[in-house]
Amino acid sequence: MTSRKIIKLAEQLLFATAVFTLVLLAFTDKVVVPVWLQAVGRMHPLLLHFPLVLLLLAMGLEIFRFKPANLTNEFYQGFLNSLWLTGALSAGITVVMGLFLSREEGYTGSALQWHKWSGAAVFFLSALLYWARNRAWYTATVARTSAVVGACLLVASGHLGATVTHGNNFVWEPVAKLAKPEPVPLEQAVVFDHVIQPIFEQKCVSCHNAEKLKGELRLTDAESVRRGGKSGKLFVAGKPEMSLLLKRIHLPEEEKKHMPPKGKSQLTDNEIALLSLWVKGNADFNKKVVDLPPSDTLRRIAAALFKPAEQVDEYDFAAADEETVQKLSNNYRTILPLAKDSPALAVYFFNQKQYAPEKLKELSDIRQQVVSLNLNKMPVSDADLKSVSQFENLRKLDVNFTNITGAGLKTLAGLKHLTELALSGTRITSSDLQEPIRTLPSLKMVALWQTGVKPADIQQLQKAYKHITFIGGFRGDEAEPIKLNPPQVKNSSTIFSQPLAMQLGHPIKGVQIRYTTDGTEPDSLKSPVFTGNTILTESASIKARAYKEGWYGSSAATFNFYKTTYKPDSVNLLLPLNRVHQADGAKTFFDGKLGVLNANSPAWANNWAGVRNNDLAFVSEFKQPISVKSVALRTMVESETGIFPPTIIEIWGGASREQMKLITTFKPAQPQKVYPPELNAYGTTFKPQTISYLKIVAKPVEQLPEWHNNKGKRGFLLVDEVFIN
Amino acid sequence: MEKLIEEHGLTFNRRRFLSRLSLGLGSAALGSLLIPDLFSGGAFDEDGLTPGIPHFAPKAKRVIYLFQNGAPSQQELFDYKPKLRDMQGQEIPPSVRGSQRLTGMTAGQSSFPLVGSFVDFKQYGQSRAWVSDLMPYTAGIVDDLCIVKSLYTEAINHDPALTFLQTGSQQGNRPSMGAWLSYGLGNENKNLPTFMVLLSRGIGNGQGVYSKLWTNGFLDSIHQGVQFSKGEDPVLYLRDPDGMDRKDRRDMLDNVAQLNELAYQEFGDPEIMAKVQQYEMAYRMQTAIPEVMDLSKEPDDIVKLYGPDCLVPGTFAANCLLARKLSENGVRFVQLYHQGWDQHGNLPFEIAKQAKDVDQASAALVTDLKQRGLLDETLVIWGGEFGRTSYTQGKLTADNYGRDHHPRCFTIWMAGGGIKPGIVYGETDELGYNISENPVHVHDFQATVLHQLGLNHEKLIYKHLGRRYRLTDVSGKVVNDLIS
Repeated sequence: MTSRKIIKLAEQLLFATAVFTLVLLAFTDKVVVPVWLQAVGRMHPLLLHFPLVLLLLAMGLEIFRFKPANLTNEFYQGFLNSLWLTGALSAGITVVMGLFLSREEGYTGSALQWHKWSGAAVFFLSALLYWARNRAWYTATVARTSAVVGACLLVASGHLGATVTHGNNFVWEPVAKLAKPEPVPLEQAVVFDHVIQPIFEQKCVSCHNAEKLKGELRLTDAESVRRGGKSGKLFVAGKPEMSLLLKRIHLPEEEKKHMPPKGKSQLTDNEIALLSLWVKGNADFNKKVVDLPPSDTLRRIAAALFKPAEQVDEYDFAAADEETVQKLSNNYRTILPLAKDSPALAVYFFNQKQYAPEKLKELSDIRQQVVSLNLNKMPVSDADLKSVSQFENLRKLDVNFTNITGAGLKTLAGLKHLTELALSGTRITSSDLQEPIRTLPSLKMVALWQTGVKPADIQQLQKAYKHITFIGGFRGDEAEPIKLNPPQVKNSSTIFSQPLAMQLGHPIKGVQIRYTTDGTEPDSLKSPVFTGNTILTESASIKARAYKEGWYGSSAATFNFYKTTYKPDSVNLLLPLNRVHQADGAKTFFDGKLGVLNANSPAWANNWAGVRNNDLAFVSEFKQPISVKSVALRTMVESETGIFPPTIIEIWGGASREQMKLITTFKPAQPQKVYPPELNAYGTTFKPQTISYLKIVAKPVEQLPEWHNNKGKRGFLLVDEVFIN
Repeated sequence: MEKLIEEHGLTFNRRRFLSRLSLGLGSAALGSLLIPDLFSGGAFDEDGLTPGIPHFAPKAKRVIYLFQNGAPSQQELFDYKPKLRDMQGQEIPPSVRGSQRLTGMTAGQSSFPLVGSFVDFKQYGQSRAWVSDLMPYTAGIVDDLCIVKSLYTEAINHDPALTFLQTGSQQGNRPSMGAWLSYGLGNENKNLPTFMVLLSRGIGNGQGVYSKLWTNGFLDSIHQGVQFSKGEDPVLYLRDPDGMDRKDRRDMLDNVAQLNELAYQEFGDPEIMAKVQQYEMAYRMQTAIPEVMDLSKEPDDIVKLYGPDCLVPGTFAANCLLARKLSENGVRFVQLYHQGWDQHGNLPFEIAKQAKDVDQASAALVTDLKQRGLLDETLVIWGGEFGRTSYTQGKLTADNYGRDHHPRCFTIWMAGGGIKPGIVYGETDELGYNISENPVHVHDFQATVLHQLGLNHEKLIYKHLGRRYRLTDVSGKVVNDLIS
């Protein structure tokens, strides 16, 4: 290939690189660099030295290019031309690589932006010069000017690049570092020295120091801050609004007297708040940050300043072999990576029956990687803790409700990263803890609920080891007694036709249930204790309460048992039911299912048959004549929403459907005001009658009373069951 | 000759032009290779997602969400507004109310008188947080809580608001938060589902909850929430029928698995193998569920801690206790719903009962997790779907009033899971109507929850019907101030 051809090719490559660079620049934010190209990007710091040298050389030679002696020197001209071409081309490639590199994490900030654009400018300028430098208008002056401009740009870009790589103030940092004070932990921080003074240091001292002393004010130390300046004292202790310091800070920025002056770095909102709060708190020069109450705003803002940068656990061990992890993981022993690309593993054991000591030992292949181990409620013994101690990087260990003792705990010594230890529900005592606490240097939290460690022990431990949180948890014997919940009825149905053994129960063990059958309130002394031997033969309303040592007695629960002797062979409705209260139609009244309150919502209305615009009327047929002496309708009353008792119940009976006569009527008492919803069986007894057909008519309220929200409208009548005896 | 030269020049230029053009286009095309979404829009890193593994080291491993369904009134529980009492009965200034869209229940109301809380507030703990007298147990643990008073939502009615909070969209059919977590984090305990749902009901005015709230949406069906029922069989269809023992079940599963294997070889449908796995999980659940659900071994202290109702199936207290047991056993997301917080009227009476239902058990759950050393890795969330108005709905009487739905601000609390304890975040104006400081949109809240679990809400993505979906839809940012 001739040199002419090579140049031609290089020129084409230069053009292509220019276009490519333009595209990348236009869409920088959207560029996604594949992994293999990242390697190319990382060669940017290596390659950049070529254009730097080549172009600087080219620019230097360009200045002298139009000297007559050089004009005729063929080698000078040819060499310079090639120098420009290779320089521009290498600059282009460097820029492309740099753009790739900038897409990696951690490259942000203004220095990067400046470097990017100046670097691109160097490339385009050199490419442009290569193209223009043989034109007629390209004179010696143009050549010199552009060479000088280009060189400046090149040096600037190089310097900015160094800042991106090595950080600001790279050169002077070692010198500056000597003067920097050690960071102070929050516990030792003094409000003035470590919170207030640093603000002055950063924002004020450059003008208010011993040399500059603007306004005769020095802010370099406590003494000078106390003294104030030309305009007087800086602050009135306790009164930020009267204090010169804050007045100046709060002036509008355009004001001449606003501090810091316009154009200088301004105070942040937090800094202003801190200064203001410090003055408000009497401008104390000695108070420590931790002396302030935890809720104090100053303390809260200041605490954030001392908080160490988020401590992300850096793991210095390699990841385990993926196949090994896969093999060790099963349904009862889950092994999960902490996160994507993290070498750390968390191990969980489930199902007591599947646990065996070997299952812990088997994990030796991943002993480096396990940082969290959960053995909650597994039958773990002291011997097993020996296997646990192999996990040298363990951070968190949960052995709640296991069989371990102090002897086992000792084997954990040497787990230097262990920070959280959950021992709740074990037999650990206070003395068992002394040694492990000393041998586990990173320990921060120990859970000790339901262990042999007494509350007093925990207080002592907490006092002795302030850096560890000991969690004692809830103790029922120390808490205020609370009220028991009421007893429950355990019979599958409270409707019965044969004598029924009443079954009452309570979810809490050892509870005593006392009850009454006469409607009076049961008490803990006189009312009979429920033993399970109560047989009911008639409908009854049982009131029962639960009692237990250490608890307040429950409120009374009322259980209504309903006796019903006869169930009709068929039932026919004479008038329709309300659309949303269909329940199971005519069968509802004898299906043995009771409804509950809150029937107004269709979802709960399943057991409630209801009417509103017409009477509730149905006929029951008995194939064998019955001797009936009482009828009752179980009815919901929710006075607020207009669900009322029937105004009148008519009982009709006879030997045939056609020959029924009115046996009796009954008028339930009507609500006189809104009261809580209740369930009542409205009925009456009468002289026994032998009948085969029974007709019941119950009328809903036609006009709700004056006091009701819906006065004048029709009321609802809801019935879930009818009892015939 | 001249013509020839001209022709040559033209030819040369044309060739040059074309070669340059192709070179330029080629370079541009090369560049475009590095910009995957130059022509598709919306940048995201598909490689960044490995379902089942968090994106970064999580603070929390599990979530227990105590959803207070119906929207508890913040004015009576956590957002103390003495000014409302001072202005009792006065109209809310139109400047405060702004152009807020009203629900159909108060849109017709001609007057909007302000009403203060009927119950008093006190400050508690080191955080000095205000809590009303209705929540004495919660007040006792404020130093473990992060109370956010400035959550706001977009919906004004229950169903859309609930759906929005749970799925990130007001319309249904997107995966619920628990399903997303199941998808993003996978199982911890392979013998239990990742996402479980427990329902309870208070005495107050209730709003329904529907299975669409714990749907897997377009995600794989293994991510669907499994609802517990309060009856004898907590998980339906899990028990072996009479006459079938465990060995029969095993044999049956093995045979069905063989048939499925054949079907898989023939059709290659991955759903077939998913089904086999589901059967196996159900088999293991047959022993795992009774072990978890057994409350009889809980010590007396636990009964006192959660309150005696915790042994009555179907109560909120029992569900809280179960939630702890499930979470302790590695269930990623336990979702409780307690109904009955919709106090449009009769608020003083109803809210007192509702609060009594949930107060002790909610606080107990936090204490219980703490005393087992689990609180730092379990995120507990307590709250409803929106707030309630600072003016009354219906008639304001001496001792009774109601409050309508209010989307502009509501209060929730979070505990554990790397959330800052003992802080109150955000503030509302003195009438408790608008947020005055640090607003947190529902998507911000969701993004923060995902963040605590080690998931980047912008990367937890599922492509469905040609669109990429997220829990936070297209917005939301992590609220760093809430994270410790």
